[in-house]
Amino acid sequence: MTIVSVRLVVAAILALIGIAAFIIGLGFEFGTARRMGPGYFPLVLSAILTILALCEIISSLLKPEVQHLDWRPLIAILSAVAAFAVTMHLFGMIPAFLAVIGLTTLSERNFGWLPALMLAATISLAAYLLFSRFLGMSLPLFQFGI
Amino acid sequence: MLENIILGFATAFTPENLFYCFIGVFLGTFIGVLPGLGSLAAISMLLPMSFYLEPTTALIMLAGIYYGGEYGGSIASILLNLPGTPSAAVTCLDGNPMAKQGRAGVALFITAIASFVGGSVGVVALMCFGPAIARIGLSFGAGDYFALMLLGLVAAVTVGGGSMLKSLIMVVLGLLLGTVGTDVTSGEFRYTFGFLELRDGVSLVAIAMGLFGVAEVISSVREASKRKIMEKVSMRSMLPTRDDMRKTFAPMARGSSIGGFLGALPGAGTVIASFLAYSTEVRLAKDKSRFGNGAMEGVAAPESANNAAAQTAFIPTLTIGIPGSATMSIMLGALMIHGITPGPLLVSDHPTIFWGLIASFWIGNFFLLVLNIPLIGLWVKVLQFPYKYIYPVVIALICIGVFSMRTSVFDVGLVVIFGGLGYLFQRVGYSAAPLILGFVLGPMLEENLRRAMLLARGDPYRLIADPLTGSILALSAFLLIWAAFSGVQNLLKARRITDMPAGEA
Repeated sequence: MTIVSVRLVVAAILALIGIAAFIIGLGFEFGTARRMGPGYFPLVLSAILTILALCEIISSLLKPEVQHLDWRPLIAILSAVAAFAVTMHLFGMIPAFLAVIGLTTLSERNFGWLPALMLAATISLAAYLLFSRFLGMSLPLFQFGI
Repeated sequence: MLENIILGFATAFTPENLFYCFIGVFLGTFIGVLPGLGSLAAISMLLPMSFYLEPTTALIMLAGIYYGGEYGGSIASILLNLPGTPSAAVTCLDGNPMAKQGRAGVALFITAIASFVGGSVGVVALMCFGPAIARIGLSFGAGDYFALMLLGLVAAVTVGGGSMLKSLIMVVLGLLLGTVGTDVTSGEFRYTFGFLELRDGVSLVAIAMGLFGVAEVISSVREASKRKIMEKVSMRSMLPTRDDMRKTFAPMARGSSIGGFLGALPGAGTVIASFLAYSTEVRLAKDKSRFGNGAMEGVAAPESANNAAAQTAFIPTLTIGIPGSATMSIMLGALMIHGITPGPLLVSDHPTIFWGLIASFWIGNFFLLVLNIPLIGLWVKVLQFPYKYIYPVVIALICIGVFSMRTSVFDVGLVVIFGGLGYLFQRVGYSAAPLILGFVLGPMLEENLRRAMLLARGDPYRLIADPLTGSILALSAFLLIWAAFSGVQNLLKARRITDMPAGEA
């Protein structure tokens, strides 16, 4: 099994961002040095970014290192935030809080479902009291649909 | 001068401002105590809530979080050997050995006093030099602003430590992210991909929360579950001997001056200040072997330095409108969201904000002294509280904070992207601070460059020919070349070291 260095992947992502930004930037008016158009700055920057990222790609190929990623908390927490966005949009604040806390607790294998449930319930209640009652934010607590 | 100070205290001493100043420093210490979460994340988390407050009150609270975090960061350093904030990393070196020798109380006491001294020196420097620098700033043209911002970015890349190539990449990526949205001059939409939400640019809070909040939590989950803390710190154990006090006086004075000076410079900030103060103490000491084994000076000097730097960092941010560090760029963003343009006119146009804020720093530092000496037991308790009940709450607060900022689900989605990217960046040694700085300075940099080039009729030599612009640009070029040169030298040296048998290189 070959291990692709994380450093190389990150550098490649950066290079791709640079190239994409450059290609899109070609669509903006470049202008002249005296009267710079909206495309001047983005084009110059994305060109620099691409070149620098290529340097980093070369340097990571020269000195391969193995880094490990903590996949479990990474996936758990990112999906918790994403779940918050979706549930907030569809069902309101309280379900969104339950979802984000529930999913975040999956970052540790042995968190336990009872502490997780109690934490989620406590925080949802506290959020209701703080945001809706105390600060008076007008966020929908429960709703259905869009 | 005197009437301004009176005006400042009159503003800061209203019950509301006192209350939010206390809330700010309290939360700042709290966040600072928790390892893995910095004041930057805390400020961005509370930014949406500050919309409900008056601009001055909001700023007093947000600033309190920032310098309160500098106090709190050292508590975790001393008791756990884990820095709560990056600038408290040096405090681990001698603070933790002191705790192991059973002198944790004394170390905490010295830290609080040194922080207070440093903070006070910083506030005095801010009072004396702030208005003067604002007056100089009034005469700056577009070219000078461009050159100054460029210098700030170059300084962040070269002085910031770590790989220069990586920092450069981060700055450029930040600048590029800053171009997203409506172009001010032409009105054209750039990189909006048809999203309405992107027309005003990428949300600063979403980026900051992703890179500094979510990413830091992800990487702290594994380590945090292992931590244990034992000691109880009583008031009595905190009292230093007379000899201790005498020994720390000079280091505090030196640390405050170093920190106060460095804090005002772009790019340097609190981390560099505390490191430099520490190494100065080591260099001056007769018996160098004491350092690393619980030397009092090794706690006092860096702590006074980082707190002095935290205060003087406000000088360029408030008076010229150019933030020197990532946290300051968030503060700048907060000012602008509240409809206040930082810059030379801030001091004369909004004296209540400028002087009220400064006066609140004094009060805040005093609150912190109380929070950190009589109430130290509280923070020890916070450290003992299992981290597993804290980070889910932090994630939930990040989500609701970003969402309520513009009631935008889109922005929460951005947090997912930047959180993931931020974690990857962190794992492979990219620092996110230059990105934020580039992002905030980007639009201003572009606008000033375009204006300056228009005035110079498209001739870059004309821009350089201006004595002030030219010399600032030359300074940036010098810094860049010097850093690149010493970088190559280090690389060669590192190669030679790796050839030798493995040791503690």
